[in-house]
Amino acid sequence: MALRAAVLRHIRLPVQTLAATGSRPQPQLSFLRLFSSHDDHLTKEEVIDRVLDVVKSFPKVEPSQVTPDVHFQKDLGLDSLDNVEIVMALEEEFKLEIPDKEADKIDSCNLAIEYIYNHPMAG
Amino acid sequence: MGASKGQKLSGMQKQVLSLYRGFLRAARSKPAEERRQIESVVSAEFHRNSKQVDRKNFLYIEYLLRRGKKQLDQLKSPDTIGLSSVNVGSSKKQNADT
Repeated sequence: MALRAAVLRHIRLPVQTLAATGSRPQPQLSFLRLFSSHDDHLTKEEVIDRVLDVVKSFPKVEPSQVTPDVHFQKDLGLDSLDNVEIVMALEEEFKLEIPDKEADKIDSCNLAIEYIYNHPMAG
Repeated sequence: MGASKGQKLSGMQKQVLSLYRGFLRAARSKPAEERRQIESVVSAEFHRNSKQVDRKNFLYIEYLLRRGKKQLDQLKSPDTIGLSSVNVGSSKKQNADT
């Protein structure tokens, strides 16, 4: 949602300048195309929002305690099994499959955000 | 078997978490209602053992791991929808003849 709003805002801007100036449509268009080839990758803000939403909706978590800096086990009172459940929920949210080796390392919101943001397939 | 509080995981803990992950993945392939049911039983069983089983009782934990792996194999079969095969007690089950 936030992404769509951001993209629409950006797309409208060049179109307005195009109408105003009238000339030189070519560079404007190629700029647009470049821009749009990038926007199917998630923005950091979107990743953060969605990761926090997933963690907040975990039954054993008190949503008000969740910030991008929380450690699942030290700060939220979860155990390693809950940790597995959260990482699995993140997999589904972002349509990823995270290998065991990586999944075992993801023990905080920050690490989850970094991993997902840097994952080329996250959607 | 000790749900840990964030320290480095032992090899055995990794095996347990990996098995747990395997169950949750297998549950995803089931219809929504069965999935919820499987998840709640599996989660309860793992959490119960993590509190009750002495983390140094390696023989017993290894036994539970072996039993869990067999049950997971059964759960993965597309013919297995319900939980009877995941149930506590025995690992013989339900779709043994498929």
